[in-house]
Amino acid sequence: MSDIFDIVIIGAGPAGMSAALEAAQQGASVAVLDRKATPGGQIYRDVTQSPLLDPSVLGSEYTEGAELVEAFMEADIDRHQNADVWHIGETGEVLYSQDNQTRRLVARELIISPGAMERPFPIEGWHLPGVMTAGSAQVMLKSDGMVKDGAIFAGTGPLLYLIVAQYLRLGVTVNAVVDTTPAGGVVRAMQYIGGALRKPAYLIKGLMLLNEIHRAGVPIFRHASNLSVLGESKSVGLQFEQDGRTHSVNADHIFLHQGVIPNLNMTRALGIEHHWAEQQLCWTPTLDDWGQSSIPHIAVVGDAAGIQGAEAARHAGRLAALKAMNKLGKLSEASLQQQSSDHLRAMKSFKAFRSFLDAYYAPTPEHRIPAASNTLACRCEEQTMGQLRAGFEQGAKDPNALKALTRCGMGPCQGRQCGHTVSELLAVWQNKPVSDIGYYRLRSPQRLLSVDELSQFQNIKPAKKPAEVSA
Amino acid sequence: MNFDAIIIGGGIHGSATAYYLSKAGMKTLVLEKDYVGRHASGVNAGGVRLLGRDFAEVPLSKEAMSRWQTLDDELEGDTGFRRRSLINIAIDDADMSTIKTRITKLTGLGYDHEIQIDQQELRERLPHAAHNCVGGVVSEQDGYAIPYKATSAFRRAAERFGATFHEGETLANLRQIGDAWQVRTDKASYDTGTLINCSGAWADKTAMMMGDNTPLSYSAPMLMITARMPHFAGPVVGAISRQLSFKQFENGTVLIGGGAKGFADRDNNRTTLDYKKLALAAETTKTFFPIMKTAVINRMWAGLEAYMPDNLPVIGAGVNARNAYHAFGFSAHGFQLGPVVGDVLAQLITTGKTSFDLNPFRIDRFERKVL
Amino acid sequence: MFRSLRKPETQSVSININGQMVQVAEGSSLWAAMALHGETQTRLALVSGQQRSAYCAMGVCFECLVEVNGVPNQQACLTTVEEGMHVCSQDLTEQSIAALHQKESADHE
Ligand SMILES: Cc1cc2nc3c(=O)[nH]c(=O)nc-3n(C[C@H](O)[C@H](O)[C@H](O)COP(=O)(O)OP(=O)(O)OC[C@H]3O[C@@H](n4cnc5c(N)ncnc54)[C@H](O)[C@@H]3O)c2cc1C
Ligand SMILES: Cc1cc2nc3c(=O)[nH]c(=O)nc-3n(C[C@H](O)[C@H](O)[C@H](O)COP(=O)(O)OP(=O)(O)OC[C@H]3O[C@@H](n4cnc5c(N)ncnc54)[C@H](O)[C@@H]3O)c2cc1C
Ligand code: FES
Repeated sequence: MSDIFDIVIIGAGPAGMSAALEAAQQGASVAVLDRKATPGGQIYRDVTQSPLLDPSVLGSEYTEGAELVEAFMEADIDRHQNADVWHIGETGEVLYSQDNQTRRLVARELIISPGAMERPFPIEGWHLPGVMTAGSAQVMLKSDGMVKDGAIFAGTGPLLYLIVAQYLRLGVTVNAVVDTTPAGGVVRAMQYIGGALRKPAYLIKGLMLLNEIHRAGVPIFRHASNLSVLGESKSVGLQFEQDGRTHSVNADHIFLHQGVIPNLNMTRALGIEHHWAEQQLCWTPTLDDWGQSSIPHIAVVGDAAGIQGAEAARHAGRLAALKAMNKLGKLSEASLQQQSSDHLRAMKSFKAFRSFLDAYYAPTPEHRIPAASNTLACRCEEQTMGQLRAGFEQGAKDPNALKALTRCGMGPCQGRQCGHTVSELLAVWQNKPVSDIGYYRLRSPQRLLSVDELSQFQNIKPAKKPAEVSA
Repeated sequence: MNFDAIIIGGGIHGSATAYYLSKAGMKTLVLEKDYVGRHASGVNAGGVRLLGRDFAEVPLSKEAMSRWQTLDDELEGDTGFRRRSLINIAIDDADMSTIKTRITKLTGLGYDHEIQIDQQELRERLPHAAHNCVGGVVSEQDGYAIPYKATSAFRRAAERFGATFHEGETLANLRQIGDAWQVRTDKASYDTGTLINCSGAWADKTAMMMGDNTPLSYSAPMLMITARMPHFAGPVVGAISRQLSFKQFENGTVLIGGGAKGFADRDNNRTTLDYKKLALAAETTKTFFPIMKTAVINRMWAGLEAYMPDNLPVIGAGVNARNAYHAFGFSAHGFQLGPVVGDVLAQLITTGKTSFDLNPFRIDRFERKVL
Repeated sequence: MFRSLRKPETQSVSININGQMVQVAEGSSLWAAMALHGETQTRLALVSGQQRSAYCAMGVCFECLVEVNGVPNQQACLTTVEEGMHVCSQDLTEQSIAALHQKESADHE
């Protein structure tokens, strides 16, 4: 078997699977790499082999994913699961770990769709055991059927309400929802209401979730601010302000969430051009409507390309695949335009809807760039806001300089949990736009790589023919 | 604006030169196109090494080494320097006799800083070295410092003496007018009595604007660092005949070098890594230190470094212009020389002389050579 | 405690967590296997030595690093359990590293 493919896709979420299906339909040789054991991505995680007796409690948005996963499993695609990509070369070489060995594939065209991660939520005590992200609650539920009773869910964004509702449907108790969506969200979002009305079903779903939580009798604290986790060596509760009063709620477990941001490390390490997206308050690859990046043979799609949600990710995946076929000379310009038009139109309406969501659920500055000097910005190297400020005052005005001086961003997470905080902090301190500040210079490997595995790289293995797995 | 001295380049040598010049009372400006310590000086391996130096460099390197021991006090800053000793491991008898020959030569020149050690002593100093290592050579004063911190310590000390640093400002054009210089950048124009080229991997371009040609080449040496490991190596480790080079920092991380080079694109400030060569470095490290098998690599990177054909730097006055000086081309071992080169230049500039023999470092030493 | 809603018919494998043999569902993530047995401590914070536990469960925070079959720094949330796997929480910190270093220096005096 050759290890050269027309199209290699990284990530088997809705974006990657859709891209693969389109490319396979169009007759390309396609390989898809995903680090998890099963395809699906964040939203459809384990949808075809749920550990739960009745996965339908997770909602129709989840179960609807089964169809896509099944189609993906049946198509003529080289599927590589448990394949963790640690390097992509500019020439199209893809290196990934599988069974503690590095293997290699070569792509004529690359479509990158590693998805999103949750936005860092740097408040006092966010590093304590017992504090996790709301996304983690969902991951644990979907892939392991594991839940935690009596937790507090805190923050903002539609995913926060979704997981609370899913918990309640399963009879898992929830202590409180501490909602940090600031008052006036509606007013801010009103200018985008047109976009929201194009997707009324989504709007109604969101309201229904809130209603569901309310009806279940879970205390909801709206417009909460100044969150901090209580506890010395582990979480014992959450303190916050509401209407000028300080509250505290006890809980040994807290799930935090304030939206998601693109998973940047792969696109950054590749040297793809990025920009600061003011509306989503995050770094985003700079792309055209087909997901085409600044590197000619590389496209980025799905939430890694800017947060648009799962449905938009499907259209984006198809668009990138069509464009790749066109670049491979297998699809005429006219067919490209014709086959793209529906997807392009769909993307436009999702964008408009997203503008509404982004404005409504904008994470507040205090939970992104906290003022308290003893709050950790960098969890790995344990650097506090105060230590970063001191580094800045010693002349480190660039994220990389600050990293070299304080070790902030040097730890195993490679800046995933502090990068956005640092870019924004340096911007505020210098009264400059974040786009002038930049981000860490990242390199492969995109995760910890053992010396033993790396050292075998000289006699690197070609891709293993994926074992036939049934959906 | 008027300055007594303008330095092109804010690496360790530009920053240190600014420190010594402003300490001597000169009004000094450093122009740095990116930010201070952005390139080699901020991302190198931090090796502070006297062991195995070219004989021509030994006098400067020895002086630098004794200054490192007290540099934090001198600069009222934190360079991260730790004296740890450096051991170059011998794999076989051939290596042992290479060491012996070199030490005999050094002794003849009056130097006693390199000491041969036998297998037993090697085991005591580096208990985790593979059993087939037969001995080595040690230099006791050697160690490491933290590159960005050291460079920035020089910069802040220079600022305390009144030096000015302009970051994000690129030299565009130079004119000698009489004995003085007019310096134009992408942002402004300045006059200065003295001009100093500390432009690292771009120094041939600066030199050309000053009227001097130089056969500089540049490359991208690569490094990788592990997540923290239990302490297993006190001394910095090298080898006589293998590309083995690593140090374990106090915090437990292990920095692996070995001289492997990636690809350099200096016009775009970019380097690309050559993973095959890094894999080889990983293999070598693991072979000589089996404990490294379970180490995990956290980050890999490369920096842009200037090399000269003889791997010796250019240090001293320009030859085709007046009041022009150079310090560049350190060929992957210039960090250690940080505390001395700037002082030598400052002495030359303020007194016209220095106690070091700079002949091996003349910029015109390749003039009549066929390279 | 975390609890499991996993359907009962799942096969199980046995693994060793911090010296204790336990039965866990086949195909579970190592983090879930640990958490369901009350072993929520993954590693220590490297500078302060404080206890840490998984944060993101999706591979982006690296709080869940544990030693698997003798190899440290493995992400428990991305590891799938396998029969006979040996897992330990990590207790390395800068202080413990410094102590080892001082001991070695003292041995040399
Ligand atoms: C924790 C979490 C939970 C979410 N839950 C929901 C939800 O319930 N409902 C909803 O509407 N939206 C949810 N989202 C938003 C979600 O990101 C999008 O809706 C959608 O899944 C995006 O699709 P995608 O294909 O872009 O990325 P994803 O679905 O995230 O797929 C990316 C895939 O890439 C793989 N990958 C990443 N890095 C590598 C690598 N280095 N090597 C190999 N493979 C890699 C991942 O394993 C993953 O399978 C969630 C997001 C997060 C972060
Ligand atoms: C990966 C690596 C590992 C190394 N390891 C070691 C080691 O262990 N021990 C050791 O002793 N040495 C080591 N070195 C070598 C050492 O880092 C260098 O020799 C030393 O830092 C050179 O310092 P410099 O000030 O001359 O150059 P640089 O640090 O490169 O500084 C030159 C500066 O000039 C600026 N500049 C250039 N042109 C212009 C212009 N036109 N206008 C304005 N500014 C300009 C550049 O932006 C740059 O910042 C290593 C180097 C690398 C890359
Ligand atoms: S819990 Fe975040 S990486 Fe595993």
